[in-house]
Amino acid sequence: MFVYLPVVLAVYYIVPWKWRNPWLFFVNLIFYGWGEPVYIVLMLFSIVVNYITGIFVGKYRDDNKPKAKKFLVINIVINLALLMFFKYFNLFAETLSQIPGLDSIHTLNIALPIGISFYTFQTMSYPIDIYRGDGDVQKNFISFGTFVALFPQLIAGPIIRYKDVASQLNFRASSAEQFASGVRRFTIGLAKKVLIANNIGKLWDTYSVMAATNLSFVGSWLGILAFSLQIYFDFSGYSDMAIGLGRMLGFEFMENFNYPYISRSVTEFWRRWHISLGTWFRDYVYIPLGGNRKGKNRQLLNITIVWALTGFWHGAAWTFMLWGLYYAAFLIFEKLYWLKVLEKAPRFVGHFYTVFVAVCGWVLFQLTSLSACASYYKAMFGFGAGGFIKPVDTFYLASFAVMFVISIIACTPLLKNLYKKLPEKTQSYATPAIIVLILVICTAYLVDATYNPFLYFRF
Amino acid sequence: MTKRSSWVQIILFTAFISVFFALFVLMPDKGFSERENRELTQEPAFSLESLFAKKFTTKFESYTTDQFPFRDSWTTLKARSELAIGKEENKGVYLCKGDTLIEAYEAPLQTQLDTNIQAVKTFAENAAFPVYFALIPGNSEIHSNLIPKNAPNDSQKDIIDYCYANSGAKNIDLESALASHSDEYIYYRTDHHWTSLGAYYGYEALMTAMGHSPSPLSSYTPQTVSDRFYGTVYSKSGMSWVKPDTIEIYAPQDVSTEVLNYLETEPVEGTFYDYAFLEKKDKYSMFMGGNTPLLKITTKRSDAPKILIIRDSYMDSLVPYLQNDYSEIDVMDLRYYKTQLINSSVSDYVRENGIDEVLICYSVYNFGTDTNVFLLN
Repeated sequence: MFVYLPVVLAVYYIVPWKWRNPWLFFVNLIFYGWGEPVYIVLMLFSIVVNYITGIFVGKYRDDNKPKAKKFLVINIVINLALLMFFKYFNLFAETLSQIPGLDSIHTLNIALPIGISFYTFQTMSYPIDIYRGDGDVQKNFISFGTFVALFPQLIAGPIIRYKDVASQLNFRASSAEQFASGVRRFTIGLAKKVLIANNIGKLWDTYSVMAATNLSFVGSWLGILAFSLQIYFDFSGYSDMAIGLGRMLGFEFMENFNYPYISRSVTEFWRRWHISLGTWFRDYVYIPLGGNRKGKNRQLLNITIVWALTGFWHGAAWTFMLWGLYYAAFLIFEKLYWLKVLEKAPRFVGHFYTVFVAVCGWVLFQLTSLSACASYYKAMFGFGAGGFIKPVDTFYLASFAVMFVISIIACTPLLKNLYKKLPEKTQSYATPAIIVLILVICTAYLVDATYNPFLYFRF
Repeated sequence: MTKRSSWVQIILFTAFISVFFALFVLMPDKGFSERENRELTQEPAFSLESLFAKKFTTKFESYTTDQFPFRDSWTTLKARSELAIGKEENKGVYLCKGDTLIEAYEAPLQTQLDTNIQAVKTFAENAAFPVYFALIPGNSEIHSNLIPKNAPNDSQKDIIDYCYANSGAKNIDLESALASHSDEYIYYRTDHHWTSLGAYYGYEALMTAMGHSPSPLSSYTPQTVSDRFYGTVYSKSGMSWVKPDTIEIYAPQDVSTEVLNYLETEPVEGTFYDYAFLEKKDKYSMFMGGNTPLLKITTKRSDAPKILIIRDSYMDSLVPYLQNDYSEIDVMDLRYYKTQLINSSVSDYVRENGIDEVLICYSVYNFGTDTNVFLLN
């Protein structure tokens, strides 16, 4: 962050406009190659393939629809094949090898290319948007490369759709206000990630590996609540940083999180959580499958398909698909019946129910084996071997009490609303002070970290 | 937001990141961190090979954090922030009463512990000479009451009991010897070792159990050699504001006592106290001059028996007390004596050197985690 970012920004604003995209393209590749130098080749391959098929789709879309469609299909097959191979091959190989007669199938030693799930989805939006006439062909190879590998959101989203940034690729104005709002957003994201997520994540690290006999009822809830907070602040912090950096470079990306834990139903939760992924699946899977236009049964089937895929997108393990289906079940249940009840019920019922469903879901999401999930659920629902509470739980509760309070408050728009109520003048003094304070404390945590998952993202 | 406020924010932000970038580039790299007692990562040499093996990027990152401008102040700030939000520890180190820094104990892997205790048992059962076995509990056991209530801190006593039940050797209880003096300055507040006073109580218990009569504490006059000692736990903790430890010497080296230090195959003359280390960070190494494979100490008590001690660094501050009780004291550290044991064994050593007694003495922590104890056989 202290090496890469100053250089990128300085050069970006020094060079004339026509060199800005090439510069971004160049630093994007450096950024990407930093984690996995070999996969620069993969990234370039992906850019070339999508660039070429995009041109053909665009060429035929107006007067030869079937031919355009053919190129679109080719594109999607290649993109998905890459994703399948690099992300899911080992899972499939392992699963198939358990079938008698197929035990000659072996897993391969392939490292998951960073961000492949994000950028594959992002590039797939390109030919589809062109085919549908929602965007125009990007003839400039460099601009296209910049879109695919745009570094702020390359690794953890938001997943930007081509149609949203198409015009910004060719021209984007930058203003002091936009840059400053980028600074604010980036700083908040940094604080969420470094000060909250990394910190409370330590508690989950302790509980997630605890033996079943040591895991008590109170302990298991502490652990999974810590994870629920960690994943939200980690992920949304990262999105905030991406949106902030985007603004510093003149881009406007879509929002990705909108206080999901204040939702009053699971349906609402998914409109506020990882919005860009939900939107992607809605636009490019759910609606093409027929959405809600082909009758109730078809709609329910579509929901199930979309959520199985959404779950599976999160990771190469069957538990992720199960996690997706878990949500499909709640969404269908709400659509058919429960939502009407919730609307009439007091507000806290909806809040409590949604958080409960989400928190219980994270167990399925984060523990890799079904047996681990089962013993964790057992502890959460009072049937575990660890009893109600262990002395060590009270220690952790006391140690993390302040952290819990801070992060739960930060899950709501409370602070934001209070801050907005301050007089304009106070804000103009307080904002810079808060920015510097956050930067100083975050630097202390970053410098001191021997192991820091954030550094993996490499700013 | 007004335009002016926007500019203030932009300038502060860009200034913050670029000032540290500039300082990082301009300030000379440091080799060794006094505070953390370790070598800092240096700028990695770039090569395509190291880039594709991912070595370059990983190393470059630890280079940036290790050489970050004013690193020590940042780590202090981080430790302070942790305490400010209600935690009582940083990096596993608890800040306890009286500026005492204690690292909680985590029980070792059962497999490693079993390998080690089995090695002691095999050695003791096949020995034609008496084999004594003693485990030294650490600060987190004797002063466990200082660590916050209910904090995760495994019992070292349980480990000792388990080992003693399975050692097959003559076990010596050091835990109760130290526990009965727990209100004295027997452990450094900022280091994991015992003080010279703690080592004396260890010595007293060992000698009594081994049938010798220990020199009384009153026969020694303590002498302070340093009051600026910051130990290993301090290095880890980031709590740079605590007060330093004092190092004392109780048993000065007798003029007729000779120390041979086998750092290489040919021995060099060693000493009980290497005062040169008092100028460095690692002041504990002044006892016997720090880690070494083998020490051979001969005393004027030519009529007394010969002892071989298999040990870790806790023994360095205990050895000086032994010069009135043995004619020869051989001190072996298996971690560094590996190569010599390829062609001979510890038993061979005992036979060839006419050793009368063998003492295996480790701190509980090292005994549970050391991977060289099997070399006993």
